[in-house]
Parts: sequence; C-alpha cells; structure tokens
Amino acid sequence: MTQQYLAGELSLLLGELQSVAPNEAWTRDLARLRHEAESLPSPALSSVAVRALVLTDELCWDSLTRADTGAFARQAELSAELHEFGVCAGLLEDD
Amino acid sequence: MAAAQEPQVSEAQIAVHWREEEYYFPPARFVAQANAADPDIFERFSEDRFPDCFKEYAELLSWDAYWHTTLDTSNPPFWKWFVGGRLNASYNCVDRHLASSRNKAALIWVPEPESEDTKAVTYQELYTRVNEFAALLQDFGGVKTGDRVTFHLPMVPELPVSMLACARLGVIHSEVFGGFSGAACGGRIADSESHVLVTIDGYYRNGELIDHKAKADEAVAAARAQGVEVDKVLVWRRHPGRYASKSPMVDGRDFFVDELLQDYRGKLVPPVSMPAEAPLFLMYTSGTTGRPKGCQHSTGGYLAYVTGTSKYYQDIHPDDTYWCFADIGWITGHSYIVYGPLSLGTTSVMYEGVPTYPDPGRPWRIAERLGVNIFHTAPTTIRMLRKLGPDEPGKYDYHFKHMTTVGEPIEPDVWRWYHQVVGKGEAVIVDTWWQTENGGFLGSTLPALLPMKPGSCGPGVLGVFPIIYDDDGKVVEAGSGSAGNICIRNPWPGIFQTIWGQPERFVETYYAKYNRDKDSKDWHDWPYLAGDGAVQAADGYFRILGRIDDVINVAGHRLGTKELESATITVEEVAEAAAVPVIDEVRGRAVEMYVALKPGVSPSEDIEQKVIKAIETEIGKIARPKRVWIVSDMPKTRSGKIMRRVIAGISNFADVGDVTTLANPEIVDDIRHQVQSVKVSSGEVPRELSPEEVEEIKAFGQAE
Repeated sequence: MTQQYLAGELSLLLGELQSVAPNEAWTRDLARLRHEAESLPSPALSSVAVRALVLTDELCWDSLTRADTGAFARQAELSAELHEFGVCAGLLEDD
Repeated sequence: MAAAQEPQVSEAQIAVHWREEEYYFPPARFVAQANAADPDIFERFSEDRFPDCFKEYAELLSWDAYWHTTLDTSNPPFWKWFVGGRLNASYNCVDRHLASSRNKAALIWVPEPESEDTKAVTYQELYTRVNEFAALLQDFGGVKTGDRVTFHLPMVPELPVSMLACARLGVIHSEVFGGFSGAACGGRIADSESHVLVTIDGYYRNGELIDHKAKADEAVAAARAQGVEVDKVLVWRRHPGRYASKSPMVDGRDFFVDELLQDYRGKLVPPVSMPAEAPLFLMYTSGTTGRPKGCQHSTGGYLAYVTGTSKYYQDIHPDDTYWCFADIGWITGHSYIVYGPLSLGTTSVMYEGVPTYPDPGRPWRIAERLGVNIFHTAPTTIRMLRKLGPDEPGKYDYHFKHMTTVGEPIEPDVWRWYHQVVGKGEAVIVDTWWQTENGGFLGSTLPALLPMKPGSCGPGVLGVFPIIYDDDGKVVEAGSGSAGNICIRNPWPGIFQTIWGQPERFVETYYAKYNRDKDSKDWHDWPYLAGDGAVQAADGYFRILGRIDDVINVAGHRLGTKELESATITVEEVAEAAAVPVIDEVRGRAVEMYVALKPGVSPSEDIEQKVIKAIETEIGKIARPKRVWIVSDMPKTRSGKIMRRVIAGISNFADVGDVTTLANPEIVDDIRHQVQSVKVSSGEVPRELSPEEVEEIKAFGQAE
C-alpha cells in the first residue's frame, strides 16, 4: 500500500518532539527514531511509534523532575498527538 | 501500550477475520453523470485488447508527435509505453486549458490559519508562474533537460508551480515530503545527484509557523557527506518579502525566489517536447535496505495513466471542485492532486495544514465554503476525523458525489461512517489499492458500474489484471478463501520504469520471484510482485491484507525480519543473516539471529557481540536477539533463498517440514545438532508448542 505518508507523519511528529527536547542526548535519541521512520520499511513503523511514546513519556518525566512546566505541557501535548496518530494509523493499539 | 497487530495472511487467520460484506450500489444521480457509465468500457479494456486499450488514456492528452509502438517489450521488465510519441506534461496540465478556461481556478489553496484568505490560482496565473519559475531555473539555476532538481516543500502552491516548471524544461523533479528531516532530504539529493534544492522558509502546522529553511542546511550537509554538492538553494518565502526562518541565508548558495523572480517577470519558456519514455519525476520510498528507492516515473505512460484513471475512477469533470486531502510529497498527491486533475482541466484544492486544526470540523468547513464535490483521503485521516469529531460532517452544508480512500485497507465500520456520515449517503466511494511504484490505481471499483463492498478495493482496474500466487507460484483461486501474494500479470502505462540508479534491485524486488524465463521478451512471463498480501472473493473483488514482509512481535514491538537482517549484515564479517522467532514465555516471542560468515572468517564470541551491538544500535535494545548462531551455511532453495521456516523449526524444536528440495539438505542436521545441543545443555528446551504456535512457526518465511 502507499503507506509512505504514515512514515512522513511520524517523522514530522518526531521532528516536533526534537524541537522541545531539553538537551543533546534527547535530541540524538529522537533523531535516531526519526531516521528509522524515514528509512525503514513500513512494518517497522509500529516499533518506532511505540519507542517514540516511551521516549516521550521519559521526556515528560524529565521535565517534571526539573519543574519545567512549560516544556512538560508542550511535550505532553505532542505525546497525545503522537498517540492519537498512532492509534488512527493502526500503528498502536488503543488502550 | 502495545503495537497493533500486523494484518495476517495465514489461512487460519483469514477464516477467523474474513467476513463477506454487503454491496452498496451507486446512486442513480451519480450514474447519470458519470464519465464511465457504459458497460461497454469493460470490453474496450478486456485482455484481448491489451495493450492497445490504453490508447484511450493516451488520447486524452495532447501529443506533439504520436507514438508508433504502444508497448515495447524488447527489454523486459523495462517496459516502454507509447514509444515514438512526444509530449510535454506541463503543456498538458496548463497551456492546453488556456483557450477554454483561462480564468478558471486551476488550484485553490487553503492556508492553515483561518484568518488568511484562500487563494485561487487560475490557469492563466499558473501558466505565468510556471513559465517564470522555469525561466529562473533554466537561466539562474543552470538546469537543463534530464537534470534532477530536489524539492523539499510543504503544501503550498509553489510546489505544483515548481513541479510543472521542471516538467516544462524536461527536468526530472524529486519532491521530498516537507515533514521529513533535512537528513532524509539530503540522502535523496545525493541519490538523485541533484545540484539544486528548492525549499521554503516556513509553513503553518497546528497553528505554528514552522522553521523549514533550517532543514535545507542539514540537507546540503548530508548530501555533501555522501559526495554530492548542492550549488544553489532556492528559497520561496511563505510571505514574500518577509523571512520566516532563523536560519541564515548562505551567501552565494541560498537565494530568495521572490527576489530572483523580479528578473523573470513575464518571461515565457517554450515547453520542451519530450519522448514519452523520458523520466518525469522520481518519488522516493523506503526500502528493505537502508538505501531509499527512487521510483522513476515516465512522462507519456504516467501522464496518460493518471489522466485516464482520474477521468474514469475519480470521475473528474472539468467543472468539478476536487479535493484530494493528501500531501503532494507522496505519490497520491503527484498523481491525484497535480498531474491527473490538472491534465483534465479541473479545479484542484490544496490545504496547507493539519486536518483537525483548529478543530475536526475544518475539512467540512472547507468543503462547504469551496463547494467541493469530490473528496479523496486516507483511512488514517478518516479514522482521526471520526474519532475527534464523529458528528462534525452533519453540521456543514456540502454534498459530495464521489469519495475516495487510498493508502491502506479500510475497516468496514470506518467505511460505513465515511459513506453515511461524511458522504451523507449520497456519494459513491472508491476504495483504491496501489503503491508509489504504480503511478495510479491498480484495484478499485468503477464507480458507476460496479457496486461497492466495504473493506474490499474491488477488482483490477481497467486494463490491469491482478492475480494471487502462493509462495510456490501456484495460482490462488478466487473464492478459495486463501491468501497469497497479489501480483499484476501485465504491464500498464503508469508502472515505474526502474529504481533510479539501481536497475538490478528493480528486477530483483518486483519481478524475480515469479519470473518464468529471464530471457523471455513476452510480458506474460513477467508478473509484477506488488508486495502486499491479498484474498480474492468469488466475485473477483480483492481484499488487501498489507505488506507481506515477515514480522516478529516481541513484547508488542513488531520487528521486521528484514530490518534485523539489514542491521546484522552491517557487521563486516557477516555474509548472510536470517532472523527467526522463538517462543518466549516472558516476551511472547524473541528473536534468534542466524549468521553465516564471509569466507576465511572464523566464528567467535566477538562477532556474536558485534551482531548484538549492531542490532541495538540500528534498531534498539528491544530488538536484542536472544541468541546469535554462527552457522557454516544457511539452508537454501536451489534459487538461493534462505529457508527461514526450516531455521525457525530448529530454534523451536519443531518440525522443519520437507527439506528434500533444498540445495543443501545436509546442512539442516548440522544446524539442528549445533543449536539444539547447546539449548539442551543450557536448559532452553521450550515447552511443547500449542497447535497455533506450530502453525505460526510453519508459516514463518512464507512472505519471502
């Protein structure tokens, strides 16, 4: 199927998460996931989506730990967006 | 959170999930106005009329010179369509409509911010803008016929303008989806050897002006690292005269298009008359190895195919307002936002932003305001709109005559919402199946002549004859309830010509599996392997089941075997790799890797560790194999295919099936002894497998 657009949307969301990552290490991890979304075949996208959510969760906790509520709010918003997209795209199961 | 389950292709699974849906018939009002309402069309496109049936599509175009050979099969599977014909795609999409529709909107662009005005680009204005940018590309950009130019553009009118300007010059365009990273764009620039990059400073998404130009700098650096230098970066500005990016312009390399265009106002560039088989564009798609595949599409065959399918399957008339709610960065947008609709002289709507911004009623407000009567989108978008605003469509006064779904199988209940709520029960739906490589639709109902069936795309489209083969090349009959690999028996004009710079990969990936005779010049011997699993019902309708690549589900993470194997062979000492699942009490399934080493390399624990490290680095810790087995050789068929089913059987202490047809059957016992003796001595013998697990292991590797 023409599922390239799923890879594109996932990449885009990961790009937005990169922009709210607090440091180089997070940015690198997200960049790696983004690279996978952009280059691996479509069956790999589920795995990328799951790992992206896990990473986002960690990002949110990190922001809370640092009491950075601004970053937390943006990250949580993107996390919700990522989850919504993943479920609608069939990459994640709805809870 | 768990990953969704991969659509399965085993017969047992199909028996559980496959249920025949009822038919829905097209409304009489639609049939009365349809472009294809006479059943005689099936006869015109019957197999005994192939390939000349496709002249009907080609004749929808304006040709500078007519073709002498409809289909040239002299160098299979590199098919050539309409050989001898000459035409220009830009002329066909723009110039030829001026006489009758100069002031009609070719494009209606809807910016994401609702405070910004919608912009209509008439055919006359499109003609002017395409000519001016073509002049700029030719003169300032220094590009000439046959060169490649990469675009990294979002959904702005400058994208179709840039595409049509390249087409006017016979320059091959390569658009990279605007949301992709600069690095991904750089890889595609390098692969296509483009020396000009066209981008934009920013665009709106979810209410924010995204800094896009920064990605151009990354792209140029990534291309340089791969040996290709970008000489010029041409930057459109979202708001001309106002730079939206924080990324500095690089002196002598980066240029604002709106400033350069001052020197090209009113310039006209004659369309270059191109051979029908000249490449029109590249569209990259990810492959099973790291290198993306640049699908090369032709000028004459592609344009004829998307024009014909737009007319008959999208039922586009010149006075329609047609909205394909996709991104031009994908093949759907190339074929069914730009080339198909504009070739037919209709009005094509483009939307800049997110479907649900600022609320899930946005698409329906746009449809109401613009009087859209043909709507086209993907199941993911439909699911999202249903989830976030199930009742929103009913609040708006629009009326679709026709709706399309594209990109993935659609569940029957989602289909019914699309039909009843979005389409208000008034519209036909075409559920289309096709891929980047195909140019246009391969499976669909012809909307006025065939009933719809939720969850099924329909039969093969006009002049396209699909067939399902099992792994051994036997035909899987319609109505048998069995799944297999969907293939197309014949060439069609929209099929891509090759993978840019990788002709061997093109043959190997799409034709080698079912080719009957590699020296044959007869197209019958070259079925095209689409790469999707499918079932065909007794009525001839296909239900598409998704990609046929094998997947191992580890604790909810779906790991493609090809990814695992690709990561493994990055280890220098490894010659071949095969990933198989083993039943694991904790994680459900775990991965075991089998590797064969290059000649002269001795097995060592160091190599095993390198394999583990490579997988962790390339894919992630979740994919860490439970075991790495270095074996002297892999069990293979005579054609060299690794029999993963056999290895999976060994790893799971299960039946390995018939091995008499292997090229090296003796290796099976060697591997069994090596693997199972270690497992027995370390207490890793699995419990007795359930019948379902036995079936799963037996079926493993069927996708290859």
